[in-house]
Amino acid sequence: MSAASATFGGQRTIGLGFSLLIIALYVFLLMPLLTIVGASFTSGMMIEFPPQGFSLKWYHEFLSRKDLVDGLLMSLRVAAITAIVTTTIAMMAALAGQAMAGRMAGWFQLGMTLPLLVPELLTAVGLLFFLYKIGLGKTVLGLQFGHILMAFPYAYVSITAALRQVPSSLEEASSSMGASSWQTFRLVILPLVMPGVAMGAIFAFINSFDLYTISLLLKPIGGNTLPLALFDFLTYEFKPTAAAAATLSILLSLCGVVLVQRLVGLQRAF
Amino acid sequence: MATVEAIKLHKRYGDFVALDDVTLNAESGQLVTLLGPSGCGKSTTLRCLAGFLDPEGGDIKLDGDSILKLPSNRRGFGVVFQNYALFPHMTVAENIGYGLRLRKCPKPELVRRVGEAVDLVRLNGLEDRLPRQISGGQQQRVALARALVMKPRLLLLDEPLANLDARLRDEVRWLIRDLQQQSGITAFYVTHDQSEAMAMSDMVAVMKSGRVAQFATPREIYQKPVERYVADFTGEANFLSCQSVNAQGAGQYAIQAGGAALTVAGVPGLTGRAELLVRPETLRLAAAGEVADFNGRIVKSAFVGASLLCEIALPDGGVLKLTAPPNTPVHVGDAAAVVMDRAQAWLMPEVAP
Repeated sequence: MSAASATFGGQRTIGLGFSLLIIALYVFLLMPLLTIVGASFTSGMMIEFPPQGFSLKWYHEFLSRKDLVDGLLMSLRVAAITAIVTTTIAMMAALAGQAMAGRMAGWFQLGMTLPLLVPELLTAVGLLFFLYKIGLGKTVLGLQFGHILMAFPYAYVSITAALRQVPSSLEEASSSMGASSWQTFRLVILPLVMPGVAMGAIFAFINSFDLYTISLLLKPIGGNTLPLALFDFLTYEFKPTAAAAATLSILLSLCGVVLVQRLVGLQRAF
Repeated sequence: MATVEAIKLHKRYGDFVALDDVTLNAESGQLVTLLGPSGCGKSTTLRCLAGFLDPEGGDIKLDGDSILKLPSNRRGFGVVFQNYALFPHMTVAENIGYGLRLRKCPKPELVRRVGEAVDLVRLNGLEDRLPRQISGGQQQRVALARALVMKPRLLLLDEPLANLDARLRDEVRWLIRDLQQQSGITAFYVTHDQSEAMAMSDMVAVMKSGRVAQFATPREIYQKPVERYVADFTGEANFLSCQSVNAQGAGQYAIQAGGAALTVAGVPGLTGRAELLVRPETLRLAAAGEVADFNGRIVKSAFVGASLLCEIALPDGGVLKLTAPPNTPVHVGDAAAVVMDRAQAWLMPEVAP
């Protein structure tokens, strides 16, 4: 009896400790976000937390600065194109990877995730030389290539994971009922991996939106992405305008996630 | 409907020989079962028939024409999988109508045929459910309806009952057999369960490491197996070894087994050592004063309700298992006399040449 209650008590302690750990983890993860969001509403002149008073003036300031707004628009456009193109290519690559067998498949997988393993700076320098060679140095198209390259592994991994969940017998069943490979893909595979595809698109979008080093080296003449514009801005003025810009970015990402959630049901991706 | 021949199929994976000279055939309307333990090549054979795998050698003919070059989506066969392979994002009706939809079947006809298929497997009322919202037995019936609605030339079933519990297994088994016979469709059926194979099949192919050990009717497989492996795999069996056999005309042999001199039927052309197959149900304890075939000693007995299981040790070291009526007075250590239905004893080699 006493032994049993001791065990029970022990389990409770572990449960409590575990809950505390989870809470601590969340605080650690969310603190920077809360700080920056809070700081964007300050009525003072400095980025600080806790904020002094409440005001929306830094949002107004942000929207009235052409360099920052241009950066935001450029980032959004590049990220959107990156998400669409990357997801499409990653889908094809994931299908190819699945069709391979044995050692070949392992090497293929490694190759597809290489941009994650090579330091971003090296990739950026290499790309810069390459893009100049083919006449795309310092152009928006070149920047777009760089972003697609960097975002690709995220989409690839996400879609590959989703594809693994689809038993091969579904493809065989579909084929035995007369479906061509394309029909099987469109009617069976794609609907089933859609949550993974959506996840991949979100990863690609956020990754692109966030890229700094690649953008710094490849940015087109006269153009800036939001991270670059913000960094330039912060070099001279340490004003909460930057916090307002960051908060808007977070809001935009959240909108994207909610939209995808509505469209395909993200919970199925996990 | 259709006759099917598999001729000398070969398939290997690296060093592993999956299929070695597999030759089988199904007459029109027959249900042919591929029976064997896992890894014996039965599923591989089925997958070759379905077109999911290409054999490295041999040929597959449908009504006399080779279909090896036809991809699976142009063979027009219905396939039922062990894990059902239902499309999880489609309702029961959409799953069943999938193939018809691909064939651009007009809507009214599609609805009518899906309705008929639903009736056939008694799934009425579940048409709009998703696969995860129905039970395993119902899922398997959807898979069956989905294959049959296409009016396939050949039906292929890969361990369709393996994931069902015992009661459902019986129910779905008879459903499959009834539907197959009603529609007169030729079918191949893969299983590792000998009772399933016995009850459903017109012909059984017992497979052993990539080869067909025996291809015959269920009765022949059970009563006249070509080797010990087949006898073992098709039901409870006693084996008595004989050091030498004496041929007494066509397929008749005089032997010494279990301490008795007997004349029995067997595989033609036997010489040297052999095994005598004695199924437990062909044995009974001798009544008082009756002439016994074997005399031994009871070493085990177990009451299992409907009957009594006994094991009897024979003087030459052989053991006979048999079932006796439940109230037979049997004690371990007692002498026992056993009568055998000699017409059902069968002499065969340990391993077929």
